[in-house]
Amino acid sequence: MKVVVCVREVPDTETYIKIDASQKNIVDANVTFVMNPYDEYAVEEALKLQESAGAETVAVCPGSARADDVLRSAVAMGVQSVIRVNVAEPIWDGLTTAKLLAGTLKEMDFDLLILGKEAIDDGTQQLGPMLGELLDLPCISLVTKLDVADGSVTAERESGEGVEVIEASTPCIITAQKGLNEPRYPSLRGKMAAKKAIIEVKEASVGNVQLEVTGMEYPPARGKATVVGEGVEAVPELVRLLREEAKAI
Amino acid sequence: MYNKVDASIIEKLTEIVGKSNVVTDREDLLDYSHDEYSLDDIAAYPDVVVKPQDVEAVSKIVKLCNANKIPLTARGSGTGLCGACVPSFGGVVITFENMQHIIEIDAQNLTATVESGLMLMDFYPAIEQKGLFFPPHPGDESATVGGVIATNAGGARAVKYGVIRNFVTGIEVVLPNGEIVNFGGKFVKNSTGYSLMHLMIGSEGTLGIITKATIALMAPPKEIMTLVVPYENLHDAISTVPAIIEKKILPMAVEFLERETAVLSGEHLNKTWPCAQGKAHLMIIVDGSREEEVMNLAETISEVCLANNALDVFIADTKSKQKDILDIRSGIYEAMRNYMLEILDITVPRSQIAHFVDAVNEVAVKSGMWLPTYGHAADGNVHTHLMRYQWQDGKWIEIENWEEKYQTVRKELHDLGKKYKGICSGEHGIGIVKKEYLKSFLEPEQIELMRGIKKTFDPNTILNPGKIFD
Ligand SMILES: Cc1cc2nc3c(=O)[nH]c(=O)nc-3n(C[C@H](O)[C@H](O)[C@H](O)COP(=O)(O)OP(=O)(O)OC[C@H]3O[C@@H](n4cnc5c(N)ncnc54)[C@H](O)[C@@H]3O)c2cc1C
Repeated sequence: MKVVVCVREVPDTETYIKIDASQKNIVDANVTFVMNPYDEYAVEEALKLQESAGAETVAVCPGSARADDVLRSAVAMGVQSVIRVNVAEPIWDGLTTAKLLAGTLKEMDFDLLILGKEAIDDGTQQLGPMLGELLDLPCISLVTKLDVADGSVTAERESGEGVEVIEASTPCIITAQKGLNEPRYPSLRGKMAAKKAIIEVKEASVGNVQLEVTGMEYPPARGKATVVGEGVEAVPELVRLLREEAKAI
Repeated sequence: MYNKVDASIIEKLTEIVGKSNVVTDREDLLDYSHDEYSLDDIAAYPDVVVKPQDVEAVSKIVKLCNANKIPLTARGSGTGLCGACVPSFGGVVITFENMQHIIEIDAQNLTATVESGLMLMDFYPAIEQKGLFFPPHPGDESATVGGVIATNAGGARAVKYGVIRNFVTGIEVVLPNGEIVNFGGKFVKNSTGYSLMHLMIGSEGTLGIITKATIALMAPPKEIMTLVVPYENLHDAISTVPAIIEKKILPMAVEFLERETAVLSGEHLNKTWPCAQGKAHLMIIVDGSREEEVMNLAETISEVCLANNALDVFIADTKSKQKDILDIRSGIYEAMRNYMLEILDITVPRSQIAHFVDAVNEVAVKSGMWLPTYGHAADGNVHTHLMRYQWQDGKWIEIENWEEKYQTVRKELHDLGKKYKGICSGEHGIGIVKKEYLKSFLEPEQIELMRGIKKTFDPNTILNPGKIFD
């Protein structure tokens, strides 16, 4: 069995993000980039299959040389081999990214392709379903539990009303939701090994970008929280405030 | 011996700070009658709480109290753990909610000057945004700058960089007679007479009211890495620490904890502790200026750990993961809070810490008390929770006869502290609840000197009476 995971770099949630002078991008200097947290669920799921079923694991990441760090993180966690699809500039157009990756993925002959449900920077949730379309494969998104058998998978996804259980034949695509597993931290040994890992770089041409970011703004400053009181006694006042001031109920 | 707060005093206080900054409602005063120490037998209500806006107002309040012999107790956020801000003799409590400003961040002197009511949670991001760093990290970020100075707080990141004392360069203080003085300044060096500033640090509000502080900052370490190291037992985990120090490595922090407590705290915070292996863990933070340097440190530490029976060595190399781990470690207290009696703060030489913790665990077995113990391993600073409840199979179960056991166990643990050449408080202070132990840990001459100092500063004993010693 061959399991491919797509990973991508995003700014660490603990760094301060500044918008640059063009108002269309963020200032990269002083931002630490890390593996997208949802991709960590994808990597963990692949590693579980590597350990339980001897699956071969490969991580693929679009990006410039800076993204090598994210691939090294995947190796540090335990992924066997890694490929970077070389693109100089970040692409904000989901379809362009999907087409770019589809070219590489098409030749990889995998049984399972796992992605994070979304990247936490643009949050579009597009890549998995678009790859399904481009590669003509079934895609199950927002998966919280996955069982892999010979030639098929059974996945659970939480909908508003309950849990959907979905089966698909392999090869297929899964996007990982929080709760699928607990991603492991890399061991020091893994981290050392990752320094020496060979990163295969594939050149690919970026197609026609049809979507342009025209502006970025900071979110409005968060208001101050007030403690209304403690325990049951505080409830009437809380309800009053929610109704009369916040107009939330 | 003290005078009561009467209507005319309230009137004068109101003139100084304005009506909205005077609290006299008994229900509202409840919040000021205790700190985080959990047993209410030490609680005491103030007669009035005042919230001044500036140092002049503080000075007037102190003068008023001094002239009328009314006890006055400073209060930060009340996160203290030994009753230090409890107004044992009633009177006036002064708080600094209206004095939370960052006055200046001085990039040329690498200092920040702030008002004493500023909370750490507002201080850290403000200086980080300027690309600066303040290493000390006491576990509760709602603590105020005044409070952490008055207790000489420590926290996890003290091993390499030191405690609050090492970062304060100047303070503005209102003396018990109401005079405003400035101790220290923006100096790196200062041999100009006795250091009254250092006397104020850790004085628990008994010598003066801190209104402003100048704090030394540093450039943040370029690279930080957090290691989580699992072991089968606590003894092996803690025994590793002197071996790391012996290699002449001083990490920024070395914490020890049992997996059970980490998991409990993680559940409380809805975060996952990164390691399911083993029963006891070390959390080690190393820093440096280059990745290679930090990796080399991590490697050496890892070798020492594995030679001391560590099961593996895990790494958190992103800020968000490092924060999760530190949050879980800091959150243990909060997860235990409603089920405990007291958290102790005994500190022993770091070479003794494994023996001391072994002995604590023997007391736990013998007494049937649950005594979860964790802390700052490389500082020898051990936190033992004296628990009223035990966490068993996912439920809190009240320990039988905890009332009887509590005092005996408490005394036994302090006796052990003495046996292993320790002190009764490494960072929380003496306050009310450790007064009885101060006597047994310090010579009578030392306590006499302290009494003399108190008398010199505060001849009328108006500032925070009943604390540290009687
Ligand atoms: C979850 C938790 C974790 C903690 N972790 C740590 C830790 O890691 N390390 C550590 O050292 N402590 C720790 N503490 C203890 C506590 O946070 C510290 O003692 C802190 O310094 C208290 O600050 P505060 O503002 O809450 O002060 P308070 O509790 O309000 O007061 C503490 C003392 O300071 C005096 N004081 C306050 N403000 C002033 C002022 N402006 N002028 C003069 N005196 C003043 C008070 O009179 C009192 O004596 C922890 C507490 C909790 C609840």
